[in-house]
Amino acid sequence: MTEQIIFYMLTAVVLFSALGVVLLPGVMHSALCLGLCLAGVAGLFAALGADFIFAAQILVYVGGIAVLILFVVLLAGTKADLTTRQINDAWLPALLICAAFSWSFDKITRYFSGIIATTAPHPTIRAMAGALLGDYAVPFELVSVVLLASMTGAVLFGRRKAE
Amino acid sequence: MMLSHYLAVSGILFTIGLFGVLTRRNIIGILMSIELMLNAANINFAAFNRFLYPGQHLGQVTVIFIITLAAAEVVVGLALVMAIYKNLKTVYVEKYNILKG
Repeated sequence: MTEQIIFYMLTAVVLFSALGVVLLPGVMHSALCLGLCLAGVAGLFAALGADFIFAAQILVYVGGIAVLILFVVLLAGTKADLTTRQINDAWLPALLICAAFSWSFDKITRYFSGIIATTAPHPTIRAMAGALLGDYAVPFELVSVVLLASMTGAVLFGRRKAE
Repeated sequence: MMLSHYLAVSGILFTIGLFGVLTRRNIIGILMSIELMLNAANINFAAFNRFLYPGQHLGQVTVIFIITLAAAEVVVGLALVMAIYKNLKTVYVEKYNILKG
């Protein structure tokens, strides 16, 4: 019973704040809603028993990406943004595309209906560490190269032009 | 809770993010909607790991990789947004039409 209550509360937080991200006119409000939505997704990870992902989601998404987006929202923008409309003219085709997508997602969800968890969740940090430094060592190192490249790219694009 | 509950949440979140990508005029709003879609995929990975392969962890390893790559993506994307904003002084994507072609 407690599990159901927690799940539906987290779902309400995630979906309503996601709607806020997409529909609110002010980008600042959207960015704050994004932080709330990412925190709710972290709660869903905790409900799924994924302990390390829960911590990583809080650290990387809520603490890193949401704050970074907030900084950019504060840097890029003018006063006129508060009064101009933020939705383009293609909202009706977009709504149709989203209806098609949600119809197919509904099909897939029905295909997987009735599957319940048979075992209790258990901590996976030790096993994940073994996988990251064992079988998945090469992708792990490649991801660090990607991070280095993105850091270099961010510095390159963000620096002031040499006069 | 059943697997289909988590799949439904993830599907709705993905659809909301898709609607945002298709309709927002502000490029920062589009980036935020892309983050919503990535999070929907992450929920799916964790849920399939929990319900179909209990006792294993490879779905969660995949989520870690996705989170890392999403962080890299958003850093480069925001740096590009700031570079474009410095040149064009606007954040609306329909004004980004200086590419000759």
